Amino acid sequence: MKPPKFEYHAPTSLDEALAALGRYGGDAKVLAGGQSLMPLLNFRLARPAALVDLNRIASLAYIREENGQVRFGAMTRQRTIEFSPVVAQRVPLLKEATRWVGHLPIRTRGTIGGSIAHADPSAEYPAVLAALDGEVVARGAKGERVIRAADLFQTYLTTNLASDEILTEVRLPAMPAGAGYALEEFARRHGDFAIVGIAAMVVREGQRCKLARLATAGAGPVPVRLRAAEEILERQGLGEAAIEAAARKATELVDPDADIHASADYRRHLTGVLTKRALTRAIGVARG
Amino acid sequence: MVTVRLKVNGVAHEGRCEPRKLLVDFIREDLGLTGTHVGCEHGICGACTITFNGEAARSCIMLAVQADGAELATVEGLMRDGKLHPLQEAFREHHGLQCGFCTPGMLMTALDFLRTNPSPSDREIREGISAVLCRCTGYQGIVNAVRAAAPILASER
Amino acid sequence: MSVNLPRLVGARVARREDPRLLTGQGSYVDDHRPPQMLYAAFLRSPHAHARLARIDASAALALPGVVAVLTGEDIARAAKPVRAESKTPSVKTTSFPPLALGKVRHVGEAIVMVAAESRYVAEDAVEHIVVEFEPLPVVKNTDEALDPASPVLHEDAGTNLLVSREFARGDVDGALAGAALVVRERFRFHRHTPVCMENRGCLADYATGSQVLTLRSSAQCPGLVRDILTDLLSMPEHQIRVIANDVGGGFGAKASLYPEEIATCVMARRLGRPVKWIGDRREDLLSTTHAWDEIVDAELGLNADGTIVGLRAQVTADVGAYSIYPWTAAIEPVQTISFLPGPYKVPTYRGRTRGVATCKAPLGPYRGVGRPPAVFVIEGLMDRAARRLGIDPTEIRLRNFIRDEDFPYKSPSGIVWDQSSFTGSLVKAREALDYKAARDEQVRARADGRWLGIGVASYVELTGIGSAIPVSPGMPVSTGTEAATIRFDPAGKVTAVFGVASHGQGLETTLAQIVADEVGVPIEDVRVLHGDTEISPYGTGTYASRSLVLAGGAAILAGRAVREKMVLIAGHLLEADPADVTVVDGRYSVRGMRDRSVAVQQIARAAYSGSRRLPKGLEPGLEATKFYDPYYGTASNATHVAVVEVDRATCEVKTLRYVVVEDCGRMVNPLIVDGQVHGGVAQGIGAALLEEIVYDDHGQLLSGTLMDYVVPSACEVPMMEVHHLETPSPVTLGGFRGMGEGGTIGAPAAIANAIADALSPLGIEVAELPVSPDRLFRLLGSAHGAKP
Repeated sequence: MKPPKFEYHAPTSLDEALAALGRYGGDAKVLAGGQSLMPLLNFRLARPAALVDLNRIASLAYIREENGQVRFGAMTRQRTIEFSPVVAQRVPLLKEATRWVGHLPIRTRGTIGGSIAHADPSAEYPAVLAALDGEVVARGAKGERVIRAADLFQTYLTTNLASDEILTEVRLPAMPAGAGYALEEFARRHGDFAIVGIAAMVVREGQRCKLARLATAGAGPVPVRLRAAEEILERQGLGEAAIEAAARKATELVDPDADIHASADYRRHLTGVLTKRALTRAIGVARG
Repeated sequence: MVTVRLKVNGVAHEGRCEPRKLLVDFIREDLGLTGTHVGCEHGICGACTITFNGEAARSCIMLAVQADGAELATVEGLMRDGKLHPLQEAFREHHGLQCGFCTPGMLMTALDFLRTNPSPSDREIREGISAVLCRCTGYQGIVNAVRAAAPILASER
Repeated sequence: MSVNLPRLVGARVARREDPRLLTGQGSYVDDHRPPQMLYAAFLRSPHAHARLARIDASAALALPGVVAVLTGEDIARAAKPVRAESKTPSVKTTSFPPLALGKVRHVGEAIVMVAAESRYVAEDAVEHIVVEFEPLPVVKNTDEALDPASPVLHEDAGTNLLVSREFARGDVDGALAGAALVVRERFRFHRHTPVCMENRGCLADYATGSQVLTLRSSAQCPGLVRDILTDLLSMPEHQIRVIANDVGGGFGAKASLYPEEIATCVMARRLGRPVKWIGDRREDLLSTTHAWDEIVDAELGLNADGTIVGLRAQVTADVGAYSIYPWTAAIEPVQTISFLPGPYKVPTYRGRTRGVATCKAPLGPYRGVGRPPAVFVIEGLMDRAARRLGIDPTEIRLRNFIRDEDFPYKSPSGIVWDQSSFTGSLVKAREALDYKAARDEQVRARADGRWLGIGVASYVELTGIGSAIPVSPGMPVSTGTEAATIRFDPAGKVTAVFGVASHGQGLETTLAQIVADEVGVPIEDVRVLHGDTEISPYGTGTYASRSLVLAGGAAILAGRAVREKMVLIAGHLLEADPADVTVVDGRYSVRGMRDRSVAVQQIARAAYSGSRRLPKGLEPGLEATKFYDPYYGTASNATHVAVVEVDRATCEVKTLRYVVVEDCGRMVNPLIVDGQVHGGVAQGIGAALLEEIVYDDHGQLLSGTLMDYVVPSACEVPMMEVHHLETPSPVTLGGFRGMGEGGTIGAPAAIANAIADALSPLGIEVAELPVSPDRLFRLLGSAHGAKP
C-alpha cells in the first residue's frame, strides 16, 4: 500500500502555501498532521496531483488568548493541546476531547486544523467546535474569512472550504469559569473513532441551567448541535427528569447511518445514553 | 527526487528518494535499519512507531522528506554500551514478546508514554500501550514489563 | 548409569530469541534485500465471481522500472496445478491456481503478478494493467451455494458442496426421542481471520549456476512447502531450500501453501533475479485464509439428572472459494464434528458436516481449528441444559466429564482420550475463582440492577499427533514425525537442529532446555537451529500443537543417543566400566570416586580426535539424528471461567476476571506456557466480542482495514489468572502434551456463556459470535419486556 506519485511542496510561509495550492486548480491537497490523509494516500483512495505540506510553516502553530477566545494556529499538534495549561484552564472540554483522539503517537503529529478540515463524521474535535460555537479562519486567493462551526461542516469529510483555501486558525470561545463539561464517547476499542460521541458543556446558576451545549460525533454526516435538547435543560433545569428528557430529545434530533460497526438504531440509542452520561457528568463538575 | 538529511540514533544520514517514499521504508531500505516494522500502512497497528524529535510517531504515515532536518530514534538505538535498555530487560524478564514483530513499536511507544506518565497505574499502562497491537502476548507480559520498568526509568530522570 | 535430574525442563527460563528481537535484529523475510532484488505486487480481483476475458499488461510493462509480468497462463506453463487431494471420498478435490485461470472466485484473488524495481513502481504498474471481466452471479453464502439454481464455483467439482462427512455412534435419534430434556440451538460462529502482525511475504531466488531455488518465506511449515514445490515445479527436492527464520506470528494463517509463494518462485526462476513479495494489510485481510465460519444446528439430549444421553449436530461451514493445500477445505468442518462431544461421556452421537464453497477467501486453519466453534456449541448446550434443569453449570459438567476411571475413553468420532484432568481443571478453576463468592457477588450485583455473569468452558484438544492420525482428516501428506540432530563440536558446545519452525512460541528456548538437560550441558552451550530445510533433518513445521511433543521427543531420543556415547567415551577416558559412570552437573565421573572425572569438553574433544582416544570399535564423532513418531498423539485440556459485566445502557461487554486452569502435561517452560494462554485467550476474547470478517451481498470485503476488523488492544483484554495442572502424558516422550491453541478454543465459549448467564433473568441466550454491542442491543430489544 504505497502512495501514488505526487508533486511535493514544503513551503515555509502561508503565502507560499497558498500560491502552491493555487497552481493545481483544485487538484492539490494540503498535508497537515497526515494521520488521516496519509492512510488515504497509502490506500490510493486519494490521488492528488500535489501535496502542499504545511509542517514547515512555524507561524501556523500557536495557542493564544484573544478577545475571549482561545485561538489555535491550524498546525498546533493535538499533543500540544493535550498538555497545554491554557487549554486546561480556558477550554477544558477540548483537553478532555483530546484524550479520545487516537493514541499519543497519533497526537504527536495530528493537528487541530487538520482534524477539523478533514471533517470525519466520527471525529471529536469537530464536535467540540460545534458544541462551543467555535469558528475557523480560512485564507484563500480571495483573502481571509471567518467561518462559524454551524456553516463549516457540509457532509461526510466535506467542509465549505474551497479547494484553494487553507484553514489557518481555529477559535474557541473561552468556557465560562466554573462551566461543567464532558465528552462521552463509545468506541469498539480504546482510541478508535467514536461510534457515537457527545460533547457537553453546562453553565449553572444554582439549580438553573444558564447555558447548555450539546453536539454529536458519529451520529450523522456532520456534528449535530442538539439545540432542542439544550433548550430542555435551559428551561427545565438540571434535575434528573430534565436530563432524561434532554437525552430522549437527543435521540430524535439525529439521523445516524449504519455501517458494519453499528446500526442506525443502535447509534440513535447510544446518542441518548451518552447524552445522559455527558450531562450527568458535566453537571456534576459545574460550579455556580 | 528529494534529499533527506537527518539524524538517527545520534548518527547523521543522508539519502535521496521520491517525495512519496514513506518514512518507514526510508528507514528500512535507505538506512538499512530493519528493526522498525511495517504492519498495516494505515496508522493503526503501531509496529512502525519511532521517536521523531523526541516524541513517538508512526513512520508508516509520514513521508521520508518530512524527516529532513529531524532527529529520530529507532529501536536499534536503545541499547546502552552493548547492554539492553532497562525496558528491554524488563520485556525479556516478563515475557513481553513472542514473535517480536510489534516489539520495536511497542518499546518506542512505551518509552514515550512513560516520559509523559512516569508512575502509571495498570489501567494507564494499558491505555498507553493500546496504541500498539499485539497478537501474540495478550498484553499481559507487556503490562508486567512496563510496570516493572517504570520506577527504574523514573529514577533515572 | 544414572540420569541427570531435570534442571531446565520445568524452569522459567528467559528466552534465547529475545535479545535479537528486542534490539531490532530479527531476521524476518522483509529484512532481506539481496543484490538485484525485484519487488512484486499483485493485481487482485475487484469482482467476487467473474470470467477473465482479456488481460493486457502492455502499458504496465512500458513503465520505467517494471521488469516482468506473469499471468495464470504463464504459471500454468511453469508449474503443476495445486490440488489438495483428500483420501476421504466425499471431499471434492479442486484446483487452486496461483494466479487466476479463466475465472476469479473471490474478491482479492490474485490475477496478475508484476516484478519491478520497487514496490511503489510495482503498484503503479498494477494500476496500468487492463483486465476485462465478464461478471458472474455472486454466490454469497452457503444457502445460496447449495441452491441448485446457483452457479457452481468449480465446474470440475460439479457442486459447491465440497465436503461431507459424518461421525456417528449408537442410536442418537432414539436416545433424543426418549430423553427427559432436549436442548437445541442454531449456533452461528461468524468468519474470523488470524491477523498476524507480520503480513505474509516471501523472497525467492533461483541461482542459475547451482540450479538451487531458495525461498525465504513467512511460513510455519518450510518442510511442507519444500515438499510441494518439488512436485509443482518439477525440481529435485534437494535443489530447493525453504527458510523461515523469524516469522511474525502464524496461528495457522501461515501454515498453508499460498499462491504468492508459488508465483514468486516461478517469477524468480524466469528472471534469474531474486524476487520479493511482501503482502500489505489490505492483501492480508483479503486473501490470507479465514476461519471458523460455521452454522451449527445442535441438539443435546439429557436425563433429568443432567447426564447426557445423546448429541446430534449438523455443521455447515462456509469454506470460501478454494481448498487450501495441504489441509483441504475439510479441515475446519470435519474437525468441528470430530471434537464436538468434548470432554464428556456421550453415549450416542451423530455429527454431520458440510463444507460449502462461496465467493469468499478460502477457509484455513486458525488456532483451534474447528474447536472454537465446537466448544462454543457444546458448552452453550451444556449451559442451556443446566438452566433448564436448575443444575449449577459447573455441576452439570462434573456429572458428565470423562473421569479417571473411564480412561482410555474412545470418543464418538474415534479419538481416544488417554488421560486428562477434566474434573481436576474444573474443580481447581472453581477454587481459583472462588466460585461461591463470585455467585454471591452476582446476587448482590443483580439486586443493584447490574448484569454480571459467570461463564465456564471446558474443553479437550488433540495435540502432538503422530502418523496414525492426520492433522486434517484425509489430507495428502504425513505430518506424524519430527526429527532432531544433536551435534557436539570439539569444544563441547552443542548445535541442535530441527525441522520445526518457531514463530513466536519460543522453541529455540524450550528445545534448548530439553537438549541441555538430556546431554548435561548449561543452556548457554546449546544453540537451536530450525526453520531451514537445507540444514534440518526432515520435518514439516510448526502447527497443530505438535512441535514440543514431536521435536521435543526427537530431541530426547537424540540426546539419549549422544549421552550414551559420551558415557562410553568417558568410561574409556576414566578407565572405568561405563556402567559405573555417573553424570553430575556436566562432569562425568566414576561412581564413588569424585576426583576421577572428565568434563563434557574433554569428551567432545576426544570424540573428534580419532580412534586413538576412543574405545575400540567406537565410531568417532559425537552427534545423533533421531526421528520421533508419537503415533496416536495425546491431549491437552483446560477449563476457562470468565466473569463479565454487560453495560445495560451501551450493551458493551467488559471482561472483569478471566481464570484458566490448563493441563498441558509436563511443562518445559511455564513462562512460555503462560504466554501462549494469554495470547490465545486475547484472540478468543477478540473473536467473541470484536472481530468479524464481513462481506456484502456483492462479495466485497467490508472489513478491509484494521479499523474495520477490530482486534483487541490492551484495553480490551483483562489480566488473566492462569493455573497449571501437570498430568504427564502417558504416551509421549517427556510426558509433554503440546499446547498453544487452547486460548481460542475456550475463550469464545466462556465469554458467550458469561454473557448468557448475565442476561439469564431476561431469558436471553447467546447463539451468535461475535456479540458486538449492536448485536446485543438487538437481542435485548427483541426480548420480551427488555429495555436497555
